[in-house]
Amino acid sequence: MPAAIVIGIAVTLVFASGLHNFGWAFWGLAFNSNSTAANTFSPGMLVFIIGSFLTAIPALVLSMLIGLGIAIASTTYLPSFLSKILDPFVDLLAGIPSVVYGIWAFIVVAPIFGTLLNPWAVGHLAFIPGFAPHNSPPISPTSAGVGLPISIVVLTLMALPITTLLIRDALRSVPRDLWESGLALGATRWEVVRRVSLRHGSRGIFSAAFLGFGRAIGETVAVAMVIGSALRLPVNVYDSTWTMASFMFQVLDGAFGNALYLNALAELAIVLLAITFIVNLLGRRLVTHIYAEEVAGL
Amino acid sequence: MIAAPSPAFDGPVLSTRNLSVLAKGKPILDNVNLDFGPKSLTAVIGPSGCGKTTFIRSLNRMVELTPGLSVRGSILYLGQNIYDRSVNPVLVRRRIGMVFQRPTVFPMSVFENAAFGLRLVHEDEDTIDREVTEALRRAGLWEEVKDDLNRPALSLSGGQQQRLCIARALAVQPRVLLLDEPTSALDPMATQRVEATMQRLKEDFVLILVTHNVGQAARVSDRVAFLHTGKLIEVGKTGEILERPREPLTEQFITGRFT
Amino acid sequence: MTTALASTPSLAISEDLRRGETARLRWRTGFDRWMGWILPLLFLVAILPILDLVYYIGAKALPTMSWTVLTSTGDYQIHDALGVPIESTFLFVLSATLISVALGLFGGVATAEFLSERVASWIRMSANLLAGMPSVIVGYFGYFALCIYFGWGLSFIAGVFTLSFFMTPYIFRTADLAFSSIPRPIREAAYGSGARPTQYILRIGTPIAFPQILTGVFLAMAIGVGETAPIVLTVEPGLLVPNSLFAPATYMTALIWTGFNQPPSVALTVAFQAAFLIIVVVIVLNVAVRFVAAQYRKRLEGLYQ
Repeated sequence: MPAAIVIGIAVTLVFASGLHNFGWAFWGLAFNSNSTAANTFSPGMLVFIIGSFLTAIPALVLSMLIGLGIAIASTTYLPSFLSKILDPFVDLLAGIPSVVYGIWAFIVVAPIFGTLLNPWAVGHLAFIPGFAPHNSPPISPTSAGVGLPISIVVLTLMALPITTLLIRDALRSVPRDLWESGLALGATRWEVVRRVSLRHGSRGIFSAAFLGFGRAIGETVAVAMVIGSALRLPVNVYDSTWTMASFMFQVLDGAFGNALYLNALAELAIVLLAITFIVNLLGRRLVTHIYAEEVAGL
Repeated sequence: MIAAPSPAFDGPVLSTRNLSVLAKGKPILDNVNLDFGPKSLTAVIGPSGCGKTTFIRSLNRMVELTPGLSVRGSILYLGQNIYDRSVNPVLVRRRIGMVFQRPTVFPMSVFENAAFGLRLVHEDEDTIDREVTEALRRAGLWEEVKDDLNRPALSLSGGQQQRLCIARALAVQPRVLLLDEPTSALDPMATQRVEATMQRLKEDFVLILVTHNVGQAARVSDRVAFLHTGKLIEVGKTGEILERPREPLTEQFITGRFT
Repeated sequence: MTTALASTPSLAISEDLRRGETARLRWRTGFDRWMGWILPLLFLVAILPILDLVYYIGAKALPTMSWTVLTSTGDYQIHDALGVPIESTFLFVLSATLISVALGLFGGVATAEFLSERVASWIRMSANLLAGMPSVIVGYFGYFALCIYFGWGLSFIAGVFTLSFFMTPYIFRTADLAFSSIPRPIREAAYGSGARPTQYILRIGTPIAFPQILTGVFLAMAIGVGETAPIVLTVEPGLLVPNSLFAPATYMTALIWTGFNQPPSVALTVAFQAAFLIIVVVIVLNVAVRFVAAQYRKRLEGLYQ
């Protein structure tokens, strides 16, 4: 039963980490896995933690905004036959495997960033701090497109089905009477949505934010393919970095035999697990009835 | 508070001319002609399915929200056809307000509910304060909420909520107030308060009340209009219609339903 | 009585308004209309990527595909021969489905029928949490618990179980939901006529709940087919179809991952072919889910006489 599995996961990871006390260094920036000796191994995981948040938070914001727009369009502005056709399309986004997203993003979208969008931004937006180019040259033409921007785009697409579905549900739960009362007072559709519907559905909307964030921060493989896998904090907005999930995924193989390394990885897993747990818990508590909307496989 | 009279116009405030509403070709309302004069309460009664809800919803262009319905004929507000292409329905609904069957207060404070319509047009705070107070007074709710206007509207009782809905509609200075069975979800006590409010309001506004309760029509209305399968059968002063109806259909309905 | 019709449209109504409102009204109405066009366009943000993705992968994969490619069992690292990966993946998914159906069905039915509300809500919460877990964490769990502590090594069986951990919550949820939503009168009638719980479950509950459970199974399979991390972390890639529980094995998604990590070569072609096949399977399963769900709804309506 699922409870058993969940407990099993937590216990195993704790065990695997050996509850090794890495001290404050664990939360630091220095990471060096080249040795097994305790005094030269630096387990600084901060790069990955920051990287995860740097990608997940913008992705959350974008997917909430787009999800809001789509949900409002679907429930308010579009005729019902159109919504019925278009809504499943968004849900279909959730069904595409993460590795397929990754390879498409890497081959098709990254060059667009590398050759078009990034240079454009450098040319026009360099006055904003962080948008100026950095000094080290990119590694190769296509990888000039990997890094933060494309990771954020990919994560947005992956969180979008969740946010859209939940916000759509929340808006649909507004009783018809209430909606009509708003219109009857001389408000436009937009005004009723903004002032009444969003307030009425606010629980569902918060839930969408939490669950969408949980998805974004936990995404592993697609991000691994487009984040650039660079062990450093990004120096500007185009730069590569690493996230917890993708780092954990990519280095486990190489950590075989290195007990300290494995301990550190397991502890990082606990951190990621804790974050995901809290976020999902909060999100699920807000809305208990989406249990029924399983077709999208949330 | 009360809309200034429009110059150069005398005549019924609201008037339907050959109003018909069709659903897929079949008429729900058939050629209804009714005038609603200044400052009165007209009750629209009839058996279920007679079209009275469709009728009242067509008076403020809410009937457009239901897909598949088409409206024929015209409805004149102060002489202007509100279904004219150049007329903005948003505007119509400010002038012709509506109260629904169930209390539909928004999830905000009492004050914000009443101020809703005023905030839409960005009135200044003083005006809003003033108008909200007056609207709540007219709706007969002021005494009960004046101590705490910021309390959530949903914490009020059903009857209070309904009166808040009335206040909310009044705050935007309509001339006409449409009430679609406003007491059917309320207990007798609350019903009585709402009826008392309606009796006060009819001295300053044009009220059109849809009700299935003939007793209520008898208590509060000046005029009664009887609809049957979409057609206007009879209309006249309350006393005359209820005691000496001319049409057999009217008589059947009234005698069968007098509560 | 005569009515003086206003000579300019809306004059009578406009006169009622305070000045300034007409301009503002036009703005409000215009904004609303504008939103009615802009917001639906956001659908494109979701739809265009899917279409592009499917089109691109299809365009890359289809020209190279043929029956030979799909069935030949040669070395897929040297030339595109998908026979081994396909069969391998099939075995994986089948085994993992069996395990997760066993776990999920048992748990779901138990939760719906026997457990108290308090315990049930905890279990449901944990199922939801498990479903929301990053795939790398489930992979880590499989690696540490099964590969190392149980000593199974990077083997087929480790991958199967890890995958099933991932799939179980979905089957659990649908089973729970399916049994919980059997109309009460039916349930009461069954117990009222003296049925024992197992009889009720097997003979009455399951036939009714079957379509919904089937959708859960398809859903779990669709998710399982697309998962990469649990497999890559727990299974050693192999060139042959696994012939024993502890053998190495390969998986479609693992193929894509490997293809990505290597310089452009045959591996990349294989990766695209694999990606295409996965998408096809996922779409087919999703369609199947919708189809079965619709049938189920019809059947359930028939139950509410």
